[in-house]
This record gives sequence, structure tokens and C-alpha cells, in this order.
Amino acid sequence: MGRYVIRRLLQFIPTVVGAFFLLHYMVSAGIQLRGNPARAFFGERTPSPEMLAAVKRLFNTDDPCLAQEGNPLHPFNPCLGLFVERMGNVAVGDFGTDYRGRLVTDIFLSAAPVTLRLALIAILTEIGIGVLAGVLAGLRSGGFIDYVVKISTVLAIAIPVFVLGRMVQLSIVPFARWLRDNGASDDVMGLVAVTYKLDYPWLSLVIPGIVLGVLGLATTARLTRTSLMENLRADYVRTATAKGMPQRRVIGVHTLRNSLIPVVTNLGYSFGVLLGGAVVTESIFNVPGIGGVVIRSVRFNEGPVVVSMVTILVIVYLVVNLIVDMLYAVLDPRIRYD
Amino acid sequence: MTNTDTTATAAPKGRGRRHTRLADVDPSATLLDVRDLKVEFRTRYGIARAVNGVSFSVEAGETLAILGESGCGKSVTAQAIMGIVDSPPGFVTGGEVRYRGVDLLKLSRQERRKARADRLAMIFQDALSALNPVFSVGFQLGEVFRFHRGMSRADARKKAIELLDLVNIPAARQRVSDYPHQFSGGMRQRVMIAMALALDPDVLIADEPTTALDVTVQAQIMNLLAELQRDLNMGMILITHDMGVVADVADKISVMYAGKVVERADVHDIYADPAHPYTKALLESIPRVDLKGQQLNVIKGLPPALTDLPRGCNFAPRCRYARDRCREDTPHLYQVTTPGGDGSGRTPRGSACHYWEEVVAQ
Repeated sequence: MGRYVIRRLLQFIPTVVGAFFLLHYMVSAGIQLRGNPARAFFGERTPSPEMLAAVKRLFNTDDPCLAQEGNPLHPFNPCLGLFVERMGNVAVGDFGTDYRGRLVTDIFLSAAPVTLRLALIAILTEIGIGVLAGVLAGLRSGGFIDYVVKISTVLAIAIPVFVLGRMVQLSIVPFARWLRDNGASDDVMGLVAVTYKLDYPWLSLVIPGIVLGVLGLATTARLTRTSLMENLRADYVRTATAKGMPQRRVIGVHTLRNSLIPVVTNLGYSFGVLLGGAVVTESIFNVPGIGGVVIRSVRFNEGPVVVSMVTILVIVYLVVNLIVDMLYAVLDPRIRYD
Repeated sequence: MTNTDTTATAAPKGRGRRHTRLADVDPSATLLDVRDLKVEFRTRYGIARAVNGVSFSVEAGETLAILGESGCGKSVTAQAIMGIVDSPPGFVTGGEVRYRGVDLLKLSRQERRKARADRLAMIFQDALSALNPVFSVGFQLGEVFRFHRGMSRADARKKAIELLDLVNIPAARQRVSDYPHQFSGGMRQRVMIAMALALDPDVLIADEPTTALDVTVQAQIMNLLAELQRDLNMGMILITHDMGVVADVADKISVMYAGKVVERADVHDIYADPAHPYTKALLESIPRVDLKGQQLNVIKGLPPALTDLPRGCNFAPRCRYARDRCREDTPHLYQVTTPGGDGSGRTPRGSACHYWEEVVAQ
């Protein structure tokens, strides 16, 4: 196992470098096409060349390869020199600053806990409700619950997060107003708030978290259902029954453990979907998490922030997937990583 | 398949739900007496009558072999006795399964469940798929003690080691925490046997216990089973399609065809003079060394579809003795007396053929 983990960690390096390069390339191309963001800093005014150069240096966008306006042959110069320089900085822990001079690491540290809470709520929704719905549907396939689960999961998969988020937000407002008029407590109001409230770091994230988890919930439920139905027909289930085990145990222990193997495998993938969804959900519900920061820095063309933040997300995704793969081996003793 | 816990007995609701009780067992009654058992599967293609009025009995210390080709209803019969028919689509629609006088089909769900493993146990065909791949064999063995006897995990583990010793698994103490995939085929089947024997059952049903194994291991497993059956004085029902296995270990045989018992006899009688054309054809189809190089005898045609059984005798379409009467008139189990086996055995011989005398005479 130890050797396997080390091998996987080494495989992270090319993945991270590759992702880093792609991000760098796209951000550079953005500057090459749209012009230097330092220029936008002055608005209507025309700065003196010295002034402009100073701001460019401040923003770390003074590399000549970022200015390709007059060069029709190289509209997308990958700026390899700048890439190497960036890589070197990151390697020693310098992730750069945003245009206001805040360290990217500081921005990350202040935003990460919020996103972490949001993701946790989403994952709990996904696993808790998803597995429960899948089991209930799979136990009585063709029954009422099965149809409810099948139809609602198709809907959940079909509706994009940004539509669902808006819908939930809009439908909650009148409800929240009604609650307030009927003298609901502050905690309840925090729960039904349509935006993030600093006073309620958990409660006000419940609804955004559920919205974020719905897509994964639907996939988890469907996967659990199919997997459970398949395993219920397995011979070892019959053996457990023949041993006189109570039905609760036959399903809850013997069948479920086997049925959850594909579900856990899917968790790693769905975590990636979750990170992508967090960007959207956070901007809908005004949550000051990583997603919000990424959206804002894309909008304001803050290259270093985008590159560093997304690279950190890539690393988080890789680590989560490694953990999931190890969990997989815990669930299924036939898997050996040696 | 959610109702594996009890085989749904299609009892008319008006008759009330009177349950028999395991506590009422009569030690002097026949160990297991199956009478006119009927099981059907309600599928979208129609009703498949998998077991169509099967009767037999087993006494303690006795081995009954149920012989028949794939799909003749032998496994379903076993599952109906255990009460583990997948339901839906399977339903036990009639008959009795009397264990020491108590009809198991009329037990409450709870009592039925408790009877499993404790009174009746079953060994399945393919031990690799019949054992749960994600739990250690010690866990799966110990579970029986934990849930039927309320033992602690530690005690159950000790018991599991004893059982593995009983079925001759070397280094039981080390192997108890291994998983099924870490055992060889023969060892896995030994684990299955250990699991079945855990609570010292009175009836052991072995459903093709050696089919998935290679020939040398088959003999070891059959010997082990026969030995344990003798030592523990169990009644054993051995389900197989292997006539060689039957000859070695069984006391008596019921031959099944298309959901019915077509012939019943003591084991030596049936080899000497089969009294049903199907049994006879089965015996003739065994490859023989002295007829090497010649074409094997096969039974032409296929068994009838269980959703659409023919009128009259089920075997008639494939039978060389068949006449018009066979296609009209369903034969019952005739009492058979032959020069070789004239009732000297314990079992009354029977053959479900109108022309059994002709079959014996040839």
C-alpha cells in the first residue's frame, strides 16, 4: 500500500504541471487577445509609459511575450519563459498576489473553510439521501418509491445547477418572508436566507449545499439502486438467507457492502463535479468561497489568482481521488495495491 | 427478490393465519417428509410450474439423491424446503414440508428463519459466488453463532476456527481471517460445508456440491460430506446430475423430470433395473470405457418448457416406449416390483410410467 501511495503521488507531478501549463497558457492568451489588464487599471485616462510600465510590473504582467498585438504569426504564444518563472515561484510556495496586493495564499485560506463547509454539506446530502433513496428504490423495483426516485433523479440530472439554484432561491424568498411575518426565530431565518450570512456559517450554507449536492445525489441514488438490485440476485445473498440471517442484516450488511463499491468509486469523480458546481453555486448564493474568488478573478482578468487557485483545486481533486481509491480497497478485499 | 426471507405461501386469506410451531416437533416422526410440493414461477411469459407435486422422505442418517438434468426442478425443490425461493416470482403453491411432523410451510416468518441453519442447512453449488466476497470466512462462519446463539465476536471466532478444523482446512487459526478469493475451489467448498454444519442441523441439503470442482477434489469433498453425514447422523438430500456420485453415497434415489418425480428406488435397484424410460436413457448415456470410439447414447430432444407442459406424460415426446395413451393420460407413480429389487429395500419402488413392466423386462 505504501509503495502504491508513493507511486500515485509521483504521478501527481505531471498532472499538476500539465494543468498548471494549460491554465497559464489560457490566461496568457487572454491577456494577448484582450490587452494588458494594467491598461484597464487607468480607465479613461491615458497613463504615461513609465506609469503603465510600473503598474505592469506590479501586476506581474510586464513580460514582453504577453504583448502580441502587432504579431499576426503568433496570436497564442505560450510564453514558456513566463511559465518556467511561475512554476519556479509556485515550487517555492510563492503563489503571487492579486491586483490589490493580497497574497493568493491568504485569499485561499480565508475562502477555503467556507467552500469546505459547503462541500461537506453537499457530500453528506449526496451520500446520505442518495444511498437511502437508492436502497429504497432498489428494494422494491417497479414500486411507487422506485418510480419517484427514477423520475426525480432524471429531473435532477437534467436541470443545470445554475437553473436549479435560481429556482430554489426564487421560491424560497416568499416562504422566508412568510416565516419572518410569523415570527420565526433568527436561526430559522438564517437557514432560509438566500445569501451567505456571516453570523450563520453553517445554517446559511445548508440550502446552497443541498442545491450543490443534488446532481451527485441523483447519480448516487441511481448507481446504488442498480447495484443493489444486481447484488440482491447474487448467490451469497441467498447463502446469507439460508443461514437464517434476519432480512435486515441480509440487505444492510451482506448486500449493501457489495453494492456500495461502485458508489464509492463514483464519489471521486463526483467530487470533481462538485468543485465545478461550487463555482456556480457560490456565485448564485453569494458565498465567499473559492468558487466566488475564481469567478471574480476570471471576470477581472487576474491571471495569477486564477492560475494558482485552480491549480490548488486540481491538487485537492487528485488527493480526494487517491483517498477514494484507498477506501475502495478497504471496502473490497479483492483489490490489492501492490 | 426482496422476500427471500420467507417463501410466500399462497395461502387463501379467508382460512386465517394459523401458524405451526417448531416447538411442536415430534421426535418419533419422519425427519423430513415432503408431500406433493408445488412451486411455480409467475413470469411475464406465463406460469412456469417448476415443481409439480413432488413427494419424498428422508430419515436421520439416510442420504437421498435427487437426480435430474438442469432445469428439472431439483434446486427449486431444495430452495422450497429451505424457504429461500426468490419471491416474487417464485411461489410455493401447495404441499407440505414436514420436519419431524411440523409443516415448515406453515411456520411464521420468524420461526422459519430460525429453523434455517439450526434445523436445516444447505450447501450451494458454486462456493465462490455463494460466499460473500467482501467478508472474511471467519466473519461469515461466526455470524451464524452470533445471530442464532447470541455469542460474542470472540467466541464466534473460536467456533469458526473449530469448524474449519472439522472440515480439514489446514492452519485454520491463520486462515480464519482470509477472504473467500484467497482459498482454492476445494477449500472454499469446505468452508461452505463448515458453514452449513455450524449449528449441527438435522437435515443437510447439498445442491450439486461438487459440480464446480475438478475431479480429484470432487472425490475428497464427497468423502468428507459422507463422513460428516454419518458421524453427525444427519439426513442428507444430495442434489446432482452425476450418476457416479449417487452410486457412491446415496441410499435411495428420486429421479426428477420436468418438475415431477418419475422414479423412486433404493440406489442399487435403480442401477440394476431402471423402471422408467428416462432413468434407463440416463444410465445408457453414461460414457463407457468398453464402448470407446462409438457414438455416445443421448436422449434426443429437450425437456418441455415449464410454462407449457404437454398433456399426459411429460417425457412422452422423447420416449421410445411412448404410445397414444402416454400423450393423453398422466401416469401416477406405480408401485414397482422387480426380480432384482422386490421391495427388499426400505423404500417402496415407484415409477411414473404406464409401461414400466415393459421397461424393466427389456
